[in-house]
Amino acid sequence: MRPILRKLVLPVALAALAGCGGGEADDKPLRFWQFWDSAVMEPMIREFEIRNPGIKVEVEQLTWKSGLEKIQAAVASGTQPDLCELGSTWVPRFSYEGVLEDLTPVYTEIADSFIMWESAAWKDRMYGLPWVQGSRALFYNTDLFTRAGLDPDRPPQTWDELLDAARRIDGLPGEVSGFGLNLGERYVLFKKFMAFAWGNGGSVFAADGSVVFDSIENLEALEFYRELAKYSLKEKQEVLDHFFKSGQLGMQISGAWNLKNYAIEAPGLKYRIALVPKPAGDRGEHASFAGAEMLVVFKSSARKADAIKLARFLQDYPQAKKLCLDVQSVFPASKIVFKDEAFVGDDKTRVFIDQSLTSQTAPPHPGWIEMEEVIDRSVEEVMYGRAEPREALKKAADEIRRIAGRFQ
Amino acid sequence: MKDKPRAKRPRVPSLVVLLLPWAVVYGAFFVFPFVFSFVLAFLHYNPLSVHATSWAGLENFTRLFGDERFLRALRNTLLFVVGTVPVTTAAALGLALLLRGRVPAKGAFKAGFFLPSVMSAVVISLLFKLFYAPNGGLNHALSLAGITGHGWLTDPRTALAGIMVMDVWAAVGYYAIIFDAAFAGIPKEFYEAASLEGAGFRDTLRYVTLPALGPVIVFVLVINTIRSFQIFIEVFVMTQGGPLGATDTLVLYVYEAAFRNLDYGYASALAYAVFVLSGVFSIVAMKRFRPRLSLGGGG
Amino acid sequence: MARRLLKFAGLLAVFAVMAYPLAWMLSISLRTGEGIGLRYFKEVWRAGPFDRYFLNSTIVVVLVLAGNIVFCAMAGYAFARHRIPGGRVLFFLVISMIMLPKQVILVPLYILMQKLHLLDTYAALTLPFAVDPFNIFLIRQFLVTIPRDCEEAARLEGAGELTILFRVVMPMLKPALAVVAIHTTLINWNSFLFPFILTNTASMRTLPVGLALLSQGAHSIDWGHLMAGAVIASLPVIIAFVIFQRQIISGLTSGMTK
Repeated sequence: MRPILRKLVLPVALAALAGCGGGEADDKPLRFWQFWDSAVMEPMIREFEIRNPGIKVEVEQLTWKSGLEKIQAAVASGTQPDLCELGSTWVPRFSYEGVLEDLTPVYTEIADSFIMWESAAWKDRMYGLPWVQGSRALFYNTDLFTRAGLDPDRPPQTWDELLDAARRIDGLPGEVSGFGLNLGERYVLFKKFMAFAWGNGGSVFAADGSVVFDSIENLEALEFYRELAKYSLKEKQEVLDHFFKSGQLGMQISGAWNLKNYAIEAPGLKYRIALVPKPAGDRGEHASFAGAEMLVVFKSSARKADAIKLARFLQDYPQAKKLCLDVQSVFPASKIVFKDEAFVGDDKTRVFIDQSLTSQTAPPHPGWIEMEEVIDRSVEEVMYGRAEPREALKKAADEIRRIAGRFQ
Repeated sequence: MKDKPRAKRPRVPSLVVLLLPWAVVYGAFFVFPFVFSFVLAFLHYNPLSVHATSWAGLENFTRLFGDERFLRALRNTLLFVVGTVPVTTAAALGLALLLRGRVPAKGAFKAGFFLPSVMSAVVISLLFKLFYAPNGGLNHALSLAGITGHGWLTDPRTALAGIMVMDVWAAVGYYAIIFDAAFAGIPKEFYEAASLEGAGFRDTLRYVTLPALGPVIVFVLVINTIRSFQIFIEVFVMTQGGPLGATDTLVLYVYEAAFRNLDYGYASALAYAVFVLSGVFSIVAMKRFRPRLSLGGGG
Repeated sequence: MARRLLKFAGLLAVFAVMAYPLAWMLSISLRTGEGIGLRYFKEVWRAGPFDRYFLNSTIVVVLVLAGNIVFCAMAGYAFARHRIPGGRVLFFLVISMIMLPKQVILVPLYILMQKLHLLDTYAALTLPFAVDPFNIFLIRQFLVTIPRDCEEAARLEGAGELTILFRVVMPMLKPALAVVAIHTTLINWNSFLFPFILTNTASMRTLPVGLALLSQGAHSIDWGHLMAGAVIASLPVIIAFVIFQRQIISGLTSGMTK
């Protein structure tokens, strides 16, 4: 095809198709897309409208499974909203594509009041505002601990202790498993494995941006993970939850949404939460994975100032707290949460709050979604005995380098 | 404006009127998306940066042949199609046959068989996900027979089979209803003639029923094949293509290529690969089964 | 006699296999924290404008069904009976729509709807689905097996094409139309992806979308509500099926002699 057609006509045609849908007038409502229950969000939005007369907000609730498709379709057709909630794993890609508004000015004002900024960063600018976050922590069944001769008041602090506890519980008579390892599903594996890798000082990228997924620290973590699998129930999340609820699983790493579920579905269950164990008493960290929900403003928006106003309002502690208390699965990204009795006063939620101090979100790379799949696959192969940790990590690291190379 | 009494061919305007509604809907809502999606296959297109779209030529297609994942998904999808379509069709036919004649509570049976089709695929997939879990219904039933089962969906060897069984379960009743409706279309005279000639059950089946149902059977085969090539939501809900890619299917790859990798061009190429495959299989099915099944004058 | 018994036993076995997972679904929806109850059902109904979702789904299905029965019969008849210039190609175009995975149509259709300013309207929910090529294919295949005698007779008496179609052919199409009705109703009643993508406001949502928003959390599934919602969603279709079953049977047995 002639170069002129290739480089000029096509993009113009497509842009023209996409372009004419944008709004101009100020009398159009401020459009906000998010994923939480509208019954919870509506009152907050009304409150915002009362405090900001003249701004009308149109909220739309997206489903977790298909919401991304809708956002993509909207951007492709030029009808994206003004303000949008995006998961931390997606923000880097959107930043890279240049569709998000640069929010660095806002960042410089409020940087110290919030955690979970990492995924909003791209080329030294900030493109998102942290809203809520949720770490994963270690759930353990105190009854099973006692039965296995372990002290329920002293949860495992190190990898060795974790292995020991898992082994003992797994050895109990009956259908009891020591640890719950996610397997047989995607999009989850890396979250659980990377907790150990990060705790050991490993990572996917080095500070200079090079891929170090095949580092010795990650290798140690993967070998440990494989060792742990010997005393584990290797199943999908629902199955792990089921077994934990019925008192047949000693430990598993999971998120705060279970606090609500377990209370309703297994009220008699005796369990506690602990930080994810670190490699050894004298080294490493109690690292974990945290998912964060960010608020982003689309560059195409004609009402950026208002969108930012709404974002700040939602981020503000009273609103974020209300949302978190309602849904009971995440916590505010605002640092005030560290001092709020409502969260730190409770035995269980306090651990999640503490854990968030040493948690990481997925590395902020636009190609992360593809890299995530590579990591999931390599962990899976090791767990199924199809590959040795060293080879699996090397292969994955090479693949990640290839993917990274496409995003220069 | 009456036709002349001798006219055999209807006038063109009537044809136009007949086809107009379809043409309008098709023209308005499908030509554009179809052409768009076809063109996409020759482009590098990312929904987030439409302005950066560039020409890919045949790159997306040539990439297919060296793509390990595509070959794996292709293999799994073919396995799925070959493993479910004949079984579902035969079972549905069998069920429809069972429903013939005087059967007490026939309506209740029909409603019962029909039930799985009424539920959304997502709900069925979620149900079966639990059903196949180590602590689920299947293992429970097996334990009654003294067999200890494991996690059927976490084992690369049984995951795909599990989804196939679920698919047959969900589809059989629906196709049985179709066959049941088709049976009603067979003129009674055929059966009367056959019994007058002393034909038994087997012969009636072979020389009357099956040939009369020929076109319907072909139809069901084709429809089922096309649908099976597009198996997606069940896999997405239950295994996301795992474990170890054992349940990775073509349309799952289409979905991920588009909505996770933001590579709409490649997703389109994949989709048209499915399109071509469905087409080939359908044509083959139509050619192979037509002469054998249809009656002399009815095809 | 023995065969009758065997037959019945076979049917019963199949019925049990079909019904078991569903019975289980029902039990989950009824087993609330405090024993058996209708709590989940009540909560599902009250969450969001559920009655509105129900209404929307009904409107959409009725409109789409009507469209399909009429327009697909017209097109199917045309393809089955008449030599159309470029007919093969056209028919192939019809079927090709079924063979392409609809995921790749998603964004293009969205873009189109947006250009036509039809997003978030009943038009978006119904028009693209008003003439399903599957039904055209079905009717055409069915008609091809039926002799043309009656139509020829009518044509000789001077009837126009449309009259022939609606007076003579439609009654003969009843079994096929039954399948069309069942297929179209099911697909559209349970359709999630396109209704979700093409609408924005709660007042335009359909049942499956409302249910998904209610019961599918980010990390966990609310089984009680999901199953209760699924039961509520399946009831109308089951009832409709049971009702139409009778009509179809009576229609079939009466209209067969000509």
